[in-house]
Order: sequence, then structure tokens, then C-alpha cells
Amino acid sequence: MNARETAWRIFAGELNASSLERKGDDDTSPSYVVTPLGSMVNRVMAAGVMTEKENIGTDDEPMWKARVQDVTGSFFLNVGRYQPEAAAAMANLDTPAFVAVIGKVRTYSPEEGRVYVSLRPEKIVQIDDRSRNLWILEAAESMWDRLLKVRKAVTNPDAGVNDLIAMGLTSAEAEGITMALDHYGDPDSSRYLSVLQSALRMLLPDREIDLGLPEEIPSAPEEIEVDEEKGDGGMSSADKEDVILALIEELDDMRGKGAPRSEIDRRAAMEGISEAEVEEISDALMDKGLVYEPNLGYLRKI
Amino acid sequence: MDREELTPHLEELKRVLGDKVSEEEILKELDTYLNVYRVDVKSAKRGILKKHGAVDPGAGIGSGGGSVSKKIGDLTGSETTVDILAKVVFAEKKSVQIKGSPRTIVSGILGDDTATASFTVWDGENCNLDKGAVYLFKNCYTKLWNDKVQINMGNRSVIQRENVEMATPERQISYSSSVAKVADLREGIGNVTVTVKIVSVESRNILVKGEPRVVFSGIAADTTGKVQFSAWSDFGLQEGETVCIKNAYIRAWKGIPQLNFGDRSEVSRVDDTIGDIDETALSRKSVGEIVRNGGGIDMTVSGTVVDVRSGSGLIKRCPQCNRSILGTECLNHGTVEPVYDVRLKVVIDDGTGAMSAIIGREVTERLTGMTLKMAMDLAKARGESDAVARAMAGKVLLRHVRLTGNVMSDDYGPMMIVRDAEEEDTDIPRRAADLLKKVEEAVM
Repeated sequence: MNARETAWRIFAGELNASSLERKGDDDTSPSYVVTPLGSMVNRVMAAGVMTEKENIGTDDEPMWKARVQDVTGSFFLNVGRYQPEAAAAMANLDTPAFVAVIGKVRTYSPEEGRVYVSLRPEKIVQIDDRSRNLWILEAAESMWDRLLKVRKAVTNPDAGVNDLIAMGLTSAEAEGITMALDHYGDPDSSRYLSVLQSALRMLLPDREIDLGLPEEIPSAPEEIEVDEEKGDGGMSSADKEDVILALIEELDDMRGKGAPRSEIDRRAAMEGISEAEVEEISDALMDKGLVYEPNLGYLRKI
Repeated sequence: MDREELTPHLEELKRVLGDKVSEEEILKELDTYLNVYRVDVKSAKRGILKKHGAVDPGAGIGSGGGSVSKKIGDLTGSETTVDILAKVVFAEKKSVQIKGSPRTIVSGILGDDTATASFTVWDGENCNLDKGAVYLFKNCYTKLWNDKVQINMGNRSVIQRENVEMATPERQISYSSSVAKVADLREGIGNVTVTVKIVSVESRNILVKGEPRVVFSGIAADTTGKVQFSAWSDFGLQEGETVCIKNAYIRAWKGIPQLNFGDRSEVSRVDDTIGDIDETALSRKSVGEIVRNGGGIDMTVSGTVVDVRSGSGLIKRCPQCNRSILGTECLNHGTVEPVYDVRLKVVIDDGTGAMSAIIGREVTERLTGMTLKMAMDLAKARGESDAVARAMAGKVLLRHVRLTGNVMSDDYGPMMIVRDAEEEDTDIPRRAADLLKKVEEAVM
């Protein structure tokens, strides 16, 4: 049966950390990206803040590049002339905006072992924050479901695909999880729990949610690891974030360009925050969906 | 080849052709085939038999090869020439139309000690089979229909009565009746035992093979799902009672499984282990479940409209057959005055799977806020009907909806005929709190 590929609700963090592909058996069968939690993904439904868009083509033949940020990182979008519907929608969208995207997963591997995952949107539509929250909920539920299934496989290391199916997994789940464990090894569950924690905090702002995890887990695996502790001037990292956030707001030129990084660096230094720390904190703020980079070298509050 | 050598072949041909053709004529033809045209004996005999329209009892009379004997249980459904020794379990003569001309066939069931199978004698005018008697059916061919072997006797076949006794496997009740839940019922399952509550039942008078029959049909359910049923005998079924049905079988209509039972089935009243049927909970399905298990009735899915397909928006229909048409030409009724209609063909996806859904006028109008009249005005103003499809797509694309309807299934996957649609009104904080609880319980 030629069933249509499911649009996976999956966080950018998990999708972007994928480096395994399962090519179709022949020309007509679909290819999949196998994520660290074993989803075989061909199509994605993403939602979040479109933080930047850029036409790298011409006016006549636009080629849009865009980023859509969720609680874990950014989806990278490429819209070309073969996606006329999405391209037309792109032209009419302003950043920042909540958007939902249905798209096919594409990979680009410039060198052995390095895989970049992007989306080629079929549909892109502006949504309200309720729809965005519903997406976060669905993505979180889906991730939790898969974490439990992966755990089943991890606790039964000798189980083959058929054994997993006998334990209640679908054949696609069993196959995907088996491949994922072979390729990525056992997943670091604290990373995924921290994603769930951020998602749930977003959805339940009034609840004190603490899953007892070490904070500040680098959320987007493709990013460079930064040392946690730099010489601190007595300020906690949360305090520093507040300072930087306030600076970004203060230095915003209010004409859409944003606050220049050089100026943020200068003012932050006066508060005792180093340039490296500003870099680190602004990355963290971007990951949390609080700021974005409208132009290279500029930051702006969402 | 001289006369002496020809004699055995001549005798064979005479036996087959009977008194239709004179001996001299057969001999002359045999001589022409063999000595003038120098073809082999086998082909010569076949040619002669064909020419006189006789039943050719085998690809090679007297050639010794060609036909093999098989037990019914060993038939594969691809035999072209096979001999079968079997008992007639049941046989009836029928008049049918084959390519427009009337024909009498005999069909029924044959059995031997290995299995039973249905059979058809395609030239059944002079074929009289006694029920319970054993015959040797020579030169049959077999076909597969619905994964079951069928035995056919064409104009090459010969049927000989044999004076032997033969036992056939018990065709009746359950030598391997399997117990199933409603959600597990699939097309083609035979011999299944289910325990269900009768949700509704009504009797209908229908014609089966030209004879009036009463069929009792309705909806049955257990805790896993609902299914349409047809009872072909009167079991006195009452709404609300719980019954155990043994030896039922499943037929599907457009991918929707239907439970059938009749005089070979046993129905017994049992204690109600099902309880009240929670229709809402029962009909709720994930798209993934439907994709894996096939269609069904009264299903409800929640998901996102991820695509609006062509054929949506303002369409034209033939006033006679109601089919959607392009322009003013109906494929069946020629040039017609089209009737306008609005509908949506969407793909709904809930993250577990994707399926098509067809939404008719009333629900489309409600979902898009665009009535048929507005759609016609818009098409007129823009000078094209695609404008309606685009406007409607803009209203529903990537929206969360809850759809209810019957789901059919074919090679392209499941498709819901939507009866009702609503904006999805998930209580996000409540579901998030549920998830949090589960995560906390697992982590702590």
C-alpha cells in the first residue's frame, strides 16, 4: 500500500542531531532520516518562530532560506521553485512570526560523518500561539512515547526487530530503533528529559517544573560545546541572561534591524560579562526562543 | 503411417467424437494431417477434435502425459490440466449469461479426504451430478479466487462416476475457530469467534440470487471497536444483548470489514462482559491505527490538515449520476447542465499517520465559512473556479480538526467520508499536565 508519509512532530534538536539515513530500496521508495530516538522521518511538521528569512535567489525565481526556532533549536528551511505554494507563502510572511511548516527532510553531507538536516517545505502557514503550543505538546508527547520505546529496546539488548514487534512496537518503530541504537548507541536520556522539561515549562508557565536534571544541558547537539564555568563575577547565569536580555532590548534601534552585537559586547563588558559569555548567553537566549538574529551581527527580542 | 498404425488413434477419436463424424472421414483427416502435412499424432488428433467441436479429453489423448492426479488439498490454483477424484458435497444447476448468451452451468462444492473446494462445470447442460457420489473429474483447471482454490471443468474435461466411498473433512463448525476482538477483524478472515454487544439490529428483505431472503443487519461492538454485521439466519437478535458468535466470517466492502454469520454459525447469549458501550471513546482512533488496521464505521480522528488536494473547492456534478465532471461533459451522460457543489479533499495527519478525507458541502461550508453561493460569486468575480479552492485551502490548511465518518480503504490507503467535522479544542494545559505526571512518575 502506498500510504502517505506521516508528518512527524519532532523537535529541531532531535532532527538536527540525526546523522543516519535509510535510503529507499529502489528509486520509487522513500528515503528516511533515522533520528537518535529511532524515528524514520521522511516528512516533518514543524512549528515555531520564524526568526529569519532571506531570498538568496532572484525576484523572479526566489530561493528562500529561513530558520524556524522551537524550544530546542532551529529548523533550517530551503524553499525553491519546486515548492511554488510554500515560496508564495514565504514572500508574504514577515519575521518574526509563529509558523507551522509541513516539509520533506533533506540532508547535506559535506564530509564523512557530518550531516546537516534541512526541510524543504510543502506548506508554510502563519499560526497563532495556541497552535504553536499544541505543536509543542504533540512533539513532547511523541518524544516521550519514543523514549519509552527506546528504553524497551535498551533494556532488552538481545531483542531483534521481531522481538520488539512482539513487545508491541510497530515494524517501522522496531526497525528504526534498532538502526538508531546501532548507529548512535544508547541515547542520553537526560538530554531528552531536559527538552521535555523546557517544553512543559513553556506549556505550563504557572507550574514549578523540575525534573531534577542538571540545568544548562547543551540543547542543540550540533553546537560547539562551551565550558560551563567561566570566571564568574558573582552573578548567576540566570542573572547574566537577564542583563543581556535587557541590553538587547535597550540597544534595539526599533527599526527592525536589532541591537548590534558589538555594542552589546561593549556594554556587557562594563557589567563584568566577557565577550565569550555574551556569545554563550545569546545562543542560550536564542535557543529558548527569546531573541533572534534578524541580521548578521544583530540581536533582537522576540 | 499406415492404416494399422492409425487404428488405435482412430478408435480414440471415434470414442470422443461418437457418431458425429463417420469413421471414413476421421480416417481421411488423420491421413491428411499425418501423411500430407506431416504433423505429429498428438497435434493431428487435437486439430481434428477442435474442427468437429468435440470435447477434447486432454491435451494429449493416448499421449500418456499432460494430466496429473491431485488431491484437493494439494491444488495450488494454477493447474491447467489436472485429474481429481472427489465427492460431490453439493451441486446445483444454474442458468447464467456468459458474454451475452445464456449458458447452463453446474456449480457446487467438491471434497476429498484432504479438503473441499468450490467447482464449476462450464458446459453443464448434460451434466447431472449426484450429491454424495464420487466422480473422477479429468482435465480440470484451477483458479484462485479470494485466496481459495476453485476447480473448473471446461470443454476438455470429462466426468466419470466412480463406485467408491469417500470421506470428506467436516466442513461445518470450527476445526480452528479463532477468537478475535472487533478491532482485529480483517477482510478475508473465516471461521472466527467474537463476543459482541448488539448495538442496533433491523431486518431487511433482500433478493439473493433472485430469491427473497431476510437478513438481520446492524451494528455490534465490543470494547475495542464497532462493526457492521449481517446475520443470514434469524437468531432473534435483540438490541443491547451480548452474544458469542461462533464460526462467523468477515467480508469487506471497500475496505470496511463486515461481520457475517448464518446457518453454519452458532449464536449463544452470554453474560454481559462488555458493559456500556462508550461510543465516543470507541470511535476515537489514531490515524496510525487506521492505516495499519484498515477502515471501519463511525471513526473519529483528530489531526492537522496537512494538504488540500485537487478536486477541492467549487466543483461541477452531473445532474443524473452526481459524479464530479469537468466542463459540461459527463462520461456517462454526455453533455449535461452541471450542478454546482463545494467540497474538500484533504489529507489529515496526527503524527502517527496520514489519510485522505472527503468533506461534503454542508461540513465544508461550516469549516471554511464559505457557502456554495459565496463560492460561486467568488469564482465569477475572479473568472476562475480555482480561486475558491485557494480561498478554502487558506481557511483549513494546518488547522487542527476532529473528523468523524466511515473510513474506506484501498491501495492508496484509507479515506474517510466525513460526516461531521469540528475545530479541535484540545485542553492543552490538561494534556500537558498529564504528560508531566507521566514523566515525573517515570523519573522520580
